[in-house]
Amino acid sequence: MLRTTIAPGPAPTVFLAGEMDLDCADTLREAVAEAARDAHTVVLDFADVEFIDSSGTGIFVRLSLDMKSRGTPLAARNLSPAVKGVFDMLRVRELVGDDVFPDQSL
Amino acid sequence: MTDQAADSAASLQVFRYVAGDDTVRAVIGEIEADLPLEDLVAHARQALESERFMCYAVSQAGDFVADELCFVPQGERCEILTIRTNGWQRHHGDHRRSLVEILNNLAAAVACGKLRILDERELLQEARAGTQLVRFAIDDSASLATARDAVDLVLQESDIDDLTRQRTILCISEAVTNMLLHGGGQGSMTLRRLDDRLRVVVADEGPGMDFLNWIEPPTKKGQASMGYGFKIILDYLDAVGLRTGQTGTTLLLDRKTD
Repeated sequence: MLRTTIAPGPAPTVFLAGEMDLDCADTLREAVAEAARDAHTVVLDFADVEFIDSSGTGIFVRLSLDMKSRGTPLAARNLSPAVKGVFDMLRVRELVGDDVFPDQSL
Repeated sequence: MTDQAADSAASLQVFRYVAGDDTVRAVIGEIEADLPLEDLVAHARQALESERFMCYAVSQAGDFVADELCFVPQGERCEILTIRTNGWQRHHGDHRRSLVEILNNLAAAVACGKLRILDERELLQEARAGTQLVRFAIDDSASLATARDAVDLVLQESDIDDLTRQRTILCISEAVTNMLLHGGGQGSMTLRRLDDRLRVVVADEGPGMDFLNWIEPPTKKGQASMGYGFKIILDYLDAVGLRTGQTGTTLLLDRKTD
């Protein structure tokens, strides 16, 4: 199960914790929608994501592309080892763009 | 070609040639009347003699669809894999390249011994091998966490390293997700202990593997699919057994624990 906590501000952060799979779509979308009110960007913090599979990744990719097209892009930071391994394997950076990972060197 | 055939999905067919025989038999799918059996036998013999994996594009008379056939020699027998498109491209655009890529990935996995295509008898035997540890129903997305936790619990007691354990759990999640999205949405998962490995049997009674779903997920939830699930399974597990058809799909997912 995915749990979310929102830290408000001009660049609000959604702290993600738990597991991201087929089940996480609604939780993630609702948290991002809430955080995105009156914001120019939303930060997703993956530090406490213990598990992610290709469906969880696909949900993040689709949401990231949606938010970019709406003018409120996502920024992903603090990728846990579990997330980084799957994102690298699925070439997520190529799908969503380097700008989504501002704290990772190329 | 009838409209019904034109709307049918892209599906896997596997035939088997055994050295010394003068025909092939169907392992997945069926031998259709227009199948060029003599050609299949000749190519299978050639693949066995040369010990080489061979692929051919086969034109179908009266239709523009060309199926590709992969011949994979395996000792005394040759597995012949193809994806029947049945005119499906007429309605769904030209995804031939994607289909060929999927087919080649499957054939390559068979060639390197990672993937075994099972007939009914082999499935019954393999799915009962070893000792059953636990079995439970899969019927909604909440089952994903249950499935992962059950496998994690067993693997925690083995000597495998954390990365291998995590990758195994990822594969289980991918297999159960495939069942939920494409396998009729429900089925079962069974953990079995064999001498040197953990075997996870994931079985559904859905419509069988449809490669249209792999390319164009049909449901809203399916949009989450990146089409990589089965590739991850083949990349990360030690061995995979597959049986699929109109009465369901069963995957045997093996992780060596010794």
